[in-house]
Amino acid sequence: MSLKYESTVREPLINGDKTFHQVTEDIIRPIETRPGKLWYVGLTLSLCLLAFGIFSVSWQVYYGVGVWGENKTVGWAWDITNFVWWVGIGHAGTLISAILLLFRQGWRTGVNRAAEAMTIFAVLCAGQFPVWHVGRIWDVFFIFPYPNSRGPVWPNFVSPLMWDVFAVSTYLTVSLLFWYSGLLPDLASVRDRARTKIRKWAYGIASFGWTGTVKNWQRHEALSLVLAGLATPLVLSVHSVVSMDFATSVIPGWHTTIFPPYFVAGAIFSGFAMVQTLLILTRRILHLEDYITLGHIEAMNKIIMLTGSIVGIAYMTELFDAWYSGNFGEGGAFWWRIFGPYWWAYVMQITCNVVSPQVFWFKKLRRNVPFTFIMAIVVNIGMWMERFVIIVLSLYHDWLPSSWSYYTPRWPEIGFFLGTFGLFFTGYFLFAKYFPVIALAEIKALLKTSGESYKDKMEPIEEESTAQFIQQAAHAHEGG
Amino acid sequence: MNQKKYWRGLEELQDSPERKKNAEDEFREPLPFDEPQSLLETPTPRRDFLKYLGFSITAATVAAGCEIQVRKAIPYLVKPEEITPGVPNYYASTYCQDGDYCPILIKTIDGRPIKVEGNNLSSLTAGGTSARVQASVLSLYDTARIRYPMINGEETTWATLDKMVLQGLGDLGTGSIVILTSSIISPSIQQAISDFIVKYPQARQVTYDAVSYSGLLMANKECYGKQAIPAYHFDQARCIVGLDCDFLGTWLSPVEFARQYAVNRKIRQDNPRMSQHFQFESNMSLTGANADYRYVHKPSQSSAIALALYNAVANLKGKPTLAGEPLTDSRLTAGIQKTAKALGAQEGHALVVSGSNNPHVQVIVNGLNEMLGSGGRTLDWSSPLNYRQGIDQDMEQVLDDMAADRVGALLVYQVNPAYDYYRSDAFRVNMGRVKLSISFNERQDETTVLCKYAAPDSHYLESWGDSSPRQGYFSLQQPGIAPLFKTRQFLESLLVWSGAAQTDPLPYIQDYWKKNIYPHYNNIYPQLGNADWQTWWDQSLQNGVVEPKVTPAAVAAHFSGNMAGAAAGLSPAAAQGSLEIVFYENVAMGSGKWANNPWLQEMPDPITKCTWDNYVCISPALSDQIGATITRFNEVYHHRPVARLTIGGKDILLPVLVLPGLHPEVMAVALGYGRSNSTGMVAGDVGKNIFPFISYNAQNQAREYYSTGVKIVKTAETYPLGITQTHNSYEGRPIIRETTLHDFSLDPSALKREELAEESRYGKDYSADATLYPQIYESPGIRWGMSIDLNSCIGCSACTIACIAENNVSVVGKKEVVRAHEMQWLRIDRYFDGDPENPQVVFQPMLCQQCSNAPCENVCPVAATTHSDEGLNQMIYNRCIGTRYCENNCPYKVRRFNWRDWNGADSFADNLYLEDKANVMMNEDLTRMVLNPEVTVRSRGVMEKCTFCVQRLQDAKLVAKKAGRPLIDGEAVTACQQACPTQAIAFGNINDKASEVYRIRTQDQHFRSYYVLDLLHTLPSIDYLAKIRNKDPEDFFSEPPQHVL
Repeated sequence: MSLKYESTVREPLINGDKTFHQVTEDIIRPIETRPGKLWYVGLTLSLCLLAFGIFSVSWQVYYGVGVWGENKTVGWAWDITNFVWWVGIGHAGTLISAILLLFRQGWRTGVNRAAEAMTIFAVLCAGQFPVWHVGRIWDVFFIFPYPNSRGPVWPNFVSPLMWDVFAVSTYLTVSLLFWYSGLLPDLASVRDRARTKIRKWAYGIASFGWTGTVKNWQRHEALSLVLAGLATPLVLSVHSVVSMDFATSVIPGWHTTIFPPYFVAGAIFSGFAMVQTLLILTRRILHLEDYITLGHIEAMNKIIMLTGSIVGIAYMTELFDAWYSGNFGEGGAFWWRIFGPYWWAYVMQITCNVVSPQVFWFKKLRRNVPFTFIMAIVVNIGMWMERFVIIVLSLYHDWLPSSWSYYTPRWPEIGFFLGTFGLFFTGYFLFAKYFPVIALAEIKALLKTSGESYKDKMEPIEEESTAQFIQQAAHAHEGG
Repeated sequence: MNQKKYWRGLEELQDSPERKKNAEDEFREPLPFDEPQSLLETPTPRRDFLKYLGFSITAATVAAGCEIQVRKAIPYLVKPEEITPGVPNYYASTYCQDGDYCPILIKTIDGRPIKVEGNNLSSLTAGGTSARVQASVLSLYDTARIRYPMINGEETTWATLDKMVLQGLGDLGTGSIVILTSSIISPSIQQAISDFIVKYPQARQVTYDAVSYSGLLMANKECYGKQAIPAYHFDQARCIVGLDCDFLGTWLSPVEFARQYAVNRKIRQDNPRMSQHFQFESNMSLTGANADYRYVHKPSQSSAIALALYNAVANLKGKPTLAGEPLTDSRLTAGIQKTAKALGAQEGHALVVSGSNNPHVQVIVNGLNEMLGSGGRTLDWSSPLNYRQGIDQDMEQVLDDMAADRVGALLVYQVNPAYDYYRSDAFRVNMGRVKLSISFNERQDETTVLCKYAAPDSHYLESWGDSSPRQGYFSLQQPGIAPLFKTRQFLESLLVWSGAAQTDPLPYIQDYWKKNIYPHYNNIYPQLGNADWQTWWDQSLQNGVVEPKVTPAAVAAHFSGNMAGAAAGLSPAAAQGSLEIVFYENVAMGSGKWANNPWLQEMPDPITKCTWDNYVCISPALSDQIGATITRFNEVYHHRPVARLTIGGKDILLPVLVLPGLHPEVMAVALGYGRSNSTGMVAGDVGKNIFPFISYNAQNQAREYYSTGVKIVKTAETYPLGITQTHNSYEGRPIIRETTLHDFSLDPSALKREELAEESRYGKDYSADATLYPQIYESPGIRWGMSIDLNSCIGCSACTIACIAENNVSVVGKKEVVRAHEMQWLRIDRYFDGDPENPQVVFQPMLCQQCSNAPCENVCPVAATTHSDEGLNQMIYNRCIGTRYCENNCPYKVRRFNWRDWNGADSFADNLYLEDKANVMMNEDLTRMVLNPEVTVRSRGVMEKCTFCVQRLQDAKLVAKKAGRPLIDGEAVTACQQACPTQAIAFGNINDKASEVYRIRTQDQHFRSYYVLDLLHTLPSIDYLAKIRNKDPEDFFSEPPQHVL
């Protein structure tokens, strides 16, 4: 009998009658076999997108940012929208790995690996935008504080863009460490099972000589906790800093103190939607329905509904502030946001982000996989629109009506965005092929308490009276 | 000589052979630079590696980096005395085109003219300029100029051409010669033409003005016996009435009139008084936009309006009224009554001017002025204006003569009837019947291509010349550069063909001046006394202008107008409900002479804010009727519907621009567009030619610039218009402050009510308290500041072009303007408020406000925009990586990003933006000679903006420093300030208590002074002076402050 007892009221986190070996088989099998046709199709498509993205960016670098649709009034549009969107998506990974770890949420083990990978790829994608959107990419290194012979000239530490550089790079580093340290025991498992020389060699190097000793495990656990501790504030800080790009400015619609929590909530919201999108595909393609269960999907849908409602409150607060502040700039910005030529962007934002997640009050819909998939995409569209609305719809009608303008995207910026999808999915497809997409070691720790077959054994116990149970438990200890 | 020998050691003293050998071979041991099999096996692998690395990198760098194009800069072998490389020279000269006149200074650097400034010594313009004058320096480097004399389009030499022409003139026999010119205000050219006529008695000169003032001239002949235009004194007028007269924008001499007009529009806070300006007009002109009261009418009503105004004033004065068609429109009759009352109250200080080309209307207006006692006060016959001299009937006669083979030779100078005559098709056909046709025009325009001979005149910046804008007033024109091409001045060609002994223009002009001008003006220079000729000439040349020592007193002329006859001859108004169209000149293009000037083409029209096109302006009401309504949803789109107009049976497709302030039954189209492709690279593609729709009123013997019975239908097509400002209202935001003279006189401090309330609550320094950070830095020394008077700014946009010329601001072309990528550092925001049918207009020059707490500065991640200790917000192009964060965070949206490589300053090859012909033209080697070498040409990917002409400020400071004294107020002048004809811009050091800008802000105008959007605590360095309208408070539309949704 296990040391830990978990009630059958909680649904099992691993379905089916699994042994440890079976779990290993299920999760590592995709690495050891040839991938299916779908994988090749997906990877090719991603690479094509990536190539188009590279072409689009090269075009823009060669001919200048003028090939984009931005103008004298709207200086940022798709570039920074995409940056914020991708950074936001990354947040779910960190939340799952760090905060849920600290809160001892067992269900995270089914999804954390993929979510963390998603975080890393999303942050990589995000990073492309602030880098390539500048006018003179060859001088972009000016942004780093390094000793130089120009005085030295230091970057401007007061600039929120500067903070972004630090926030995003810290975020990427910690996420990468977290993800990779979690991977170590699993990579070692792959190595141990490897039948080809190359695989043994490659995974041998990748697993850093993990042997599975008690000391290994002890240090691994300690490191996980430390990194979780480090990553937890990052969940809150990164998007807070990103939001300060806007909050510290003087542009109505940007200049607002509620942005940090608003952005963090939005980030988690969109991040979970992206995790849903990816995992629903992954569990289907890699046949991992037993590990990524309906329970997982439902749990994440609940978070989506919660965070969706939070951003809804943020939207209402913005509107209230615009009215209550009595400031013509704020008032005007929101009036034009809702009733201006880009009204449909705002309608999309509200519909996708605030209205649609409310359907998850219904359990049936929360547990409906195709519906969840569609909703996840809707939420991601909505969150993209939110960033677009904040950036473009604040700029296009700002303080001086003489400069009011409009914005229409052009192919190179659309191409750039598609290119980051290429980058993201290329990364994800390679990850799904070469890395265990579920945290093997961690999920095994749950198997005997939260596995379905083990839960079944709890049924007789559940039927026992309290007195019986206590007695048995006491005896078990004596016997143990 | 005994040389002492020093030794450094015993070995050297002994000087053994061994040591000698060692000393000879310093590196006797081989360098540890062996090359074993592998680098890692060397004795010092790390050092060797670094050596190889160093060598290869250097080698690669040298190999890769040396292919830099060699650009030759050859220094003077013998330096001309007056030229110091990099130091500008100024030459006084005169801008004179088609009767448009402006005395100027040519700024040349290293021998090439790069900028034109106004000449302060002229009492007429007082240093003011217009956009066209500012842009004229670019036309010097116009690639489309004819570069050599031509016969039938083939290059030839001047000698051959002269031979052929003389032969041709000789062969004519008694066939008449017509010298067709624009209004010539040059006395020496006039003299040369007379000389030519002496030589060829069958020749006659015909003056043809592209836009006619014939009606005015004929009326004056009738009323005063002089076919001339009197001098106007808008500065003496307390009540000004303009009837379809754009005297601030395009009428006669706008620079001069704008200066005069501003005298009474500037307002003193302690004794607020200003002139009152009424305008009746059909389209919205720059002048109408500046009027206190503006009334819109249909062009066919203009006769009735002049008559009604005459009668209303006559009634007030108890004079006989005239019979005629009454005015039915109640809004207009009310306006007439109000205007008449205001005029009547200012007898002797009133002025009515009319832009009508109907002589009868002009007679009525003359009668009106007579009744108001304007003669000898605001209307001055002491020294009539020479700007326009053409009589429409003469040109009609020329065309008839041509058709009847009565013209043997046609000499065309500065006119282009094949394009701008209303019967240009007939003119073109008849050109075939002229045996000898010679064009002196500088480009292959529509007329020149029809001429057998092209004898291109030199550009005015390459020419000697003179002008007499006004009787008794003279100015000289001296070249800023030797002719760039094989061109020859018109004057010289005439002299050669007249067989004059002396054919050089300069001696001829000197001769003329010595005989005709010097004797009367030899004592005008007090410091020279009765100067001898050479001293006098040198001084005059240096000054550029020669004016009477004592300004002649205004004189009235005897009035003998037949008022009843004029009233009977007035044109009847067209029927109610019929649509009418008016053809107008706009500020940039005028009659189209400047169509190949990209600066002017890209200058937003002051009223419509549209560039690079003409279009049909219609009222919002009419736009609703034809289904082209502008709403808040579609105003931002640059693609506008195209309408089919039927004017006098002819169709034309034009894009529609909806303009508040037009009569619901009136449309307006600008002249001067739709030039032929041979005119120049950019001229050909721009807009449509509307001149053929002008009509000739045989009864009045004058051309008419409107048409009735017009039809307009919206088509399914759309067309992109390069509009730079799409939203017209300032939405009641604290951007503009305005009030009425009445309210301002009662309580000037009312303008500052909010600030004063804050001050009383929080103390005077409340704005300094608005920051968390202590004010660490004092600003000793210089702090630059600017003050812009919204009352005297008329929106003419001379400053915009001056800024472009001074600061090498890129032209982007129409396609990019449509995409809101224009680069102008200084724009003029134009806002409408009030009734959309007849709104109030306000112009606001908007440039970098040089904020002391600049939002752009703290957001730049690389500190590429920083604050100078003189209060300038500096832009460091080298440091800028182009994040555009500053642009986003600028509340004034004055930052301009180099979206593309506009001018070849980028380090990438072959990515120059050449999608528009304008970009091609601006990047020609010839055109680039206009660039100001004192200002960096910015590469793509960097941000730029107004710097307060920092190069000029540095210059001024250096001059002061060299003289060992502090900077004097007025020494540092920005380009916009210098160009302004109304001196609406004051600039200087606000730490200098004696400076004008300090006085304006703190004493003279401190109630009017305000900062745009100062609620953002940006602490701008530019303050604006509130606009005061001389309107009754009940007529004043005051936008309610927008505080909430």
